[in-house]
This record gives sequence, structure tokens and C-alpha cells, in this order.
Amino acid sequence: MSRVCVITGASQGIGRAAAIRMAAEPDISHLILVARNGEGLEETKRMIGATKAKVESIAMDLSDLDAIPELVKGIHERHGSIDLLLNIAGYAEPKSLLDTTDENIRTTYAVNVFSMLAMIREAVRYMRGRPGKILNVASTAATTSRPGWIAYASSKAAVVSLSQTLADELAGTGIKVYVVSPGRCATELRQKLAPEEDPNTIMQPSQVAEVIASLLRGGENTLDGQNIIVRQQS
Amino acid sequence: MSIGMVLLAGGVGKRMGKPAPKQFLLLGGKPLIIHVAEAISGIDSIGEIVVTCPAEHIDDTAALLRNHGLDRRIRCVAGGASRQESVQLGLAALSACDTVIIHEAVRPLVSSADFQALIADAAPNAFYGIQIPFTVLRGRGKVEGILDRDELVNVQLPQKFAYAPLVKAHAEAAAAGESYTEDASLFYARGAGEVKILKGSERNLKITHPSDLITAEALYADWRGGGG
Repeated sequence: MSRVCVITGASQGIGRAAAIRMAAEPDISHLILVARNGEGLEETKRMIGATKAKVESIAMDLSDLDAIPELVKGIHERHGSIDLLLNIAGYAEPKSLLDTTDENIRTTYAVNVFSMLAMIREAVRYMRGRPGKILNVASTAATTSRPGWIAYASSKAAVVSLSQTLADELAGTGIKVYVVSPGRCATELRQKLAPEEDPNTIMQPSQVAEVIASLLRGGENTLDGQNIIVRQQS
Repeated sequence: MSIGMVLLAGGVGKRMGKPAPKQFLLLGGKPLIIHVAEAISGIDSIGEIVVTCPAEHIDDTAALLRNHGLDRRIRCVAGGASRQESVQLGLAALSACDTVIIHEAVRPLVSSADFQALIADAAPNAFYGIQIPFTVLRGRGKVEGILDRDELVNVQLPQKFAYAPLVKAHAEAAAAGESYTEDASLFYARGAGEVKILKGSERNLKITHPSDLITAEALYADWRGGGG
């Protein structure tokens, strides 16, 4: 069986690492990479290198919700299926409450929550009735207090909630919904959240990608609907 | 007695190795400089406060203080190329006063009580200092001398000085091409007067290196949890 895999946020960080890792999975026939940063996507494709999977990159701003139905429809038409949807695109602008602007709130929720929900809704139209998997990336910030990260942390709490709800709501359709919450991980986003941190001392995106790949394999059928913490113990 | 204050926020984060100026880093969810501004907000005896910061961050710093409702009495001015120059520019931007308090945004765990005790002390010139708990030797590549740590003091801020002698001492130091890393040294070296050392606190940490922020988060959580 070959599978078509769509990954958002594939231009950097965990999204890029997941793209590289999924390209190595033997049953991935098509890999569709989506992100706002076109140059970053091309770099991801270059890092994937030779693969038997057909790789397509799509540069678009996922906060443009109106464009998502056409995006997903186009992917399905071009590749004939959508079997795996990895929602990894994320945004963070850490500020104290009084410095958190409406624009900050809107952008954070648009990228982290609204676009994820729209991607899932549109993809499910094509995934129903087949064994498919949706994996959403939240954060350990979703479930613990993070002063100064109010928009980001609360948006990630929404990701956990929507993932758990959809795991139940989509039960019986053949679609499993996963949610992983990475702890401190050396990504560009983490640099914004914790600029004082040395990225060499914390978990690497490739380690999260390894967990993601294991969850998306066909044999895994027990960890959906649970907030899976991915954290490197020192 | 009229009291002014110079709050140094001139760091550009070089030693942190990151682009964000240190005063904008978050501690307990709030920028470092906001912690200091909150500590002094209720001290009405301080009449005028000048914040020195890099010219390119004047607007951001002023907006931050305004957004937190802490801009009363505070003006932001451009700092200098060195800490010493920033203090001198801050002093020049203040209206003449009897006493000036010097503090820095990267010591966010200072308390309102620290400022009040400093102001209330009878000495005209004073600063907080703590003992050095480790051995300090003189040497470059090899040991060249032994220092008696009982004679040494770890200099903290805030500091307090008589305004006119400090202004004069700065002018003299600048004219002589002398540079000092803080003002008690400069004041003493220029013979501007006696400087008293008050007992400081380990909690009044200076955020210099990345690990300092991790320590400060723990100290802040402990302090807040203790009702401080």
C-alpha cells in the first residue's frame, strides 16, 4: 500500500524534520509540503534528497483560511488520495499580557488553531472511509503555566482539545487523530520563546520526527486521542 | 530632599549572544525592565526617572512602559557607547537634584523595599554589596597574587549618590580618560566622598549570562510564592 502524506510547516523545525523522516518511510509515495516560506520548502526538498516519494512543495500562508479548501482539493486531485495529514505549522510571539496585541492573538490562533481545524475539515472530506491518520503538533505549553506565552500556550491547549475531540468524533470513519506535545526542542520557534537557551543542549527536531513516524505507521492503533508528551530526559 | 533616578537599559544583549536586548527578555512573563519599573512605581519620593537605552530602542522602551501604565515620571533618552557614558548622559538629562539613584534593568529582582531602605539611609552615598563566597586570585594564565576575600565586596545596584559630586566626578573621569565599571568605583576613585556599603541580597541577581535567567526564574517563583 502506498500513502500520500501532507505536511504543513515543512519549511523549518519539526515540520522539516518530519518531512525528511517521512520521505524515508517505504510506503510514502507522495509527500506534499506546505508552508509560507517557499525558500525554506526548497531547502527541505534539497535536504530530503533522493527519494522514491514524489515531493511537491506548496508555498502559501495557511492563515488565509479561504484558500484552504482549494489547497486540499487540489492536492487530492493531483495525487489521488490523502492518507496522512501532519499539521505542524506553528507561530509564536511571546509577550506579557499587556503587550499581547490583537494582531498577535489573531495570527497565533490563525496559524496554530484555525488553519489546523480548516485543514482537518477539508482533508476529512477526502479521507473518510479509508485508513488515514491525522497528526497535530501541540506543545507541553498546552498543559502547564507559561507566563509570557499567553497566546501561544492557550492556542496549543486548543490544539490538544480539538485533537482529542476529533479522535472521538471521527472514530468509525477509519481516521485516527494523534496529538504530540514536544517539550523544549531546538527549532526556530523555540528560539523566539526562549532566546536565552542554547539549542545544542535540548531535544532536536529529528527526535520528535522519529516519534511522529512511529505513530503514523499502519500498525500503530493505540495512541490516538491522547496527548503524547515528547520530551528528552536529561 | 529631591531625588532623581537613572535607570540603565543600555544593553544590546551581546553577552547573551542573542538579538533581543536584555531588558526586553521575559522573567515570569514580564520584561525585565517592567519588574524594575513596578518596584519603583510606588516610591513617590523619587521625582524624576531617566531611562538610558540604545537610541534605536527608545520608542520601544517608552511604549513598553506606557503600555504597562508605568511611564509616570519616566523619560527615555539615548545611552552612550559605554556604561559610564550612559550614566553621565542620564545624569545630564535629569533636572538638578540633591540625590540620584542609579539602577539597571538587568537587576529585575530588586524590591521596592530595597529602594526605600537605600533612600532612608542617612549616608548620602551608599550601595548594596554582598560578600564574595568564593576564592578570588589575581592572575593571567598563572597565579600572580592572592586576594583576601574578606576585604572584597560584590558590588550591586541600586546605588545612591549626592547628585552634584557624582556629576563632577563623572566629568573629571571623562576628562582624564578613566573608565570604571560602576559608579561607586568612580566616585571613590575621584575622591568625591565616602561611600557606605549596605547589606545586599543574593536575590538581587544581575542577568548577564543565559544561565542567570534560569536562576532568576527560580528565585522569582520562590519570592512570589513567599508573598514577597
